[in-house]
Amino acid sequence: MATEDKLIKVSNLCKYYYNGDLKAVDDVSYSIAKGDVTVIIGPSGSGKSTFLRCLNLLEIPTSGEVIFDGTDITKAKKNIDEHRRKMGMVFQHFNLFPHKTVLQNMTLAPMKVRKMSKEQAEAKALQLLKRVGLEDRANAYPIQLSGGQKQRVAIVRALMMEPEVMLFDEPTSALDPEMVGEVLEVIRELAETGMTMVIVTHEMGFAREVAKRVVFMADGKIVEEGTPEQIFGNPQSPRLQDFLRKVL
Amino acid sequence: MFSSAGFAKTWQYIQLFEQGLICTLSLSALTVLFGFIFALILALMRMSKIKPLSWFATCYVELFRATPMLVQLFIIYYVVFANTSLPNFKLFGFIRFDRFLPGVVALSMNSGAYLSEIIRAGIQSIDHGQTEAARSLGLTSGQTLKEIILPQAIKNILPAIANEFVTIIKESSICYTIGVQEIMYAVSATKGATYRIAEPLLIATAVYFCLTFPTIKIIAYFERRMSRGDRR
Ligand SMILES: Nc1ncnc2c1ncn2[C@@H]1O[C@H](COP(=O)(O)OP(=O)(O)O)[C@@H](O)[C@H]1O
Ligand SMILES: [Mg+2]
Repeated sequence: MATEDKLIKVSNLCKYYYNGDLKAVDDVSYSIAKGDVTVIIGPSGSGKSTFLRCLNLLEIPTSGEVIFDGTDITKAKKNIDEHRRKMGMVFQHFNLFPHKTVLQNMTLAPMKVRKMSKEQAEAKALQLLKRVGLEDRANAYPIQLSGGQKQRVAIVRALMMEPEVMLFDEPTSALDPEMVGEVLEVIRELAETGMTMVIVTHEMGFAREVAKRVVFMADGKIVEEGTPEQIFGNPQSPRLQDFLRKVL
Repeated sequence: MFSSAGFAKTWQYIQLFEQGLICTLSLSALTVLFGFIFALILALMRMSKIKPLSWFATCYVELFRATPMLVQLFIIYYVVFANTSLPNFKLFGFIRFDRFLPGVVALSMNSGAYLSEIIRAGIQSIDHGQTEAARSLGLTSGQTLKEIILPQAIKNILPAIANEFVTIIKESSICYTIGVQEIMYAVSATKGATYRIAEPLLIATAVYFCLTFPTIKIIAYFERRMSRGDRR
């Protein structure tokens, strides 16, 4: 694959804590093509979240480059908000705004950042809510929703900004088991629309099914990378073999 | 101690208490307003990444919390405002502005120090995930603060702010020492004219109570209403 059609190019990315005593992400280089679904797996503490959060600069990398749409966003201090809004993010703990209704959660950023009118934003929000089967919950507050509903709202809230990439950090880890399916279903449908996505997950079955590429991280490094068939069917490194033995 | 004759005498000066009530209310309301704005600035300064700003705010807060209100008031009135000639018009036709203003300034500066710590704690109590979600949607740090963090933080600290308002109503009585015509000034003036102290003090007590008690109740009411979205 030619490097030009890569949407995100990460080179020598490092994120250190405690003056380098803790290397959360340690010299990672990786590229993501437009339309690809990349799933990141790995043991807890291996740097998956930190890597993901460096992509939209929620964490400022210690060193390295993140080239998104042709610009190194680690250097584009001024336009950082501009770049962030092109990357939607979904968090493990939903992070809905508790003092705003579902509709207000969704329309706030489009109105403030994209200068959409209220009518426009609300129409768009209702349309998205309908897509995830929550149109009747538009005026509910987050506290009134189940975990699965909250996460579906968080996903469509991010979609309101029409991002070019969606980042998911363990989107189903905080859910009761019976609600995991409904959230994965939304992500699966999103994948089918051709959305570029990077997903950190422990749902191996889902990873296998939806991923174009699977990345295995350990100790802040990418240890192995490949198609789901390669990673799950024919793992090379002992670390990955060991990890898969534990989780499958 | 109390006598009906004493009350009758005191009652002749009831207008002083009415004026005192207006003065105390104006003093407290302005103090809460300016104190809150000032406290917000102090809190943001204290949490700022710019070291001199946070250092200044920290020193300010510690200094004002560690020294008596009376000392601060006297320094503001007798030192800071000593060489400024304030216009000596009268608010509402009786409140001497050249004493009232230093009183508001001193109370606001003192209250700002306390409120800023309350606000800071309120802001810090909001889950960091809220900021991250807002920033990931492309909101600026200013928009995040205004739309996401402050509304939640202020709601959380509303009881503490209400408490501070009640405290200010009570503490504003200290401004009597620089000749602000608030409620205690009315007590003193009535005492001078009637040689009665118990009755004026009883009236002052009643006026203060009527100010603070409903205030507490009103804010509790709004707090219940605002938290409606949180429950169920
Ligand atoms: N803000 C932080 N301060 C200090 N250490 C951190 C911070 N964020 C993450 N870490 C550390 O970095 C390492 C990688 O964390 P993380 O990226 O969350 O791993 P994962 O998502 O794979 O579980 C862990 O050792 C974690 O404790
Ligand atoms: Mg994680």
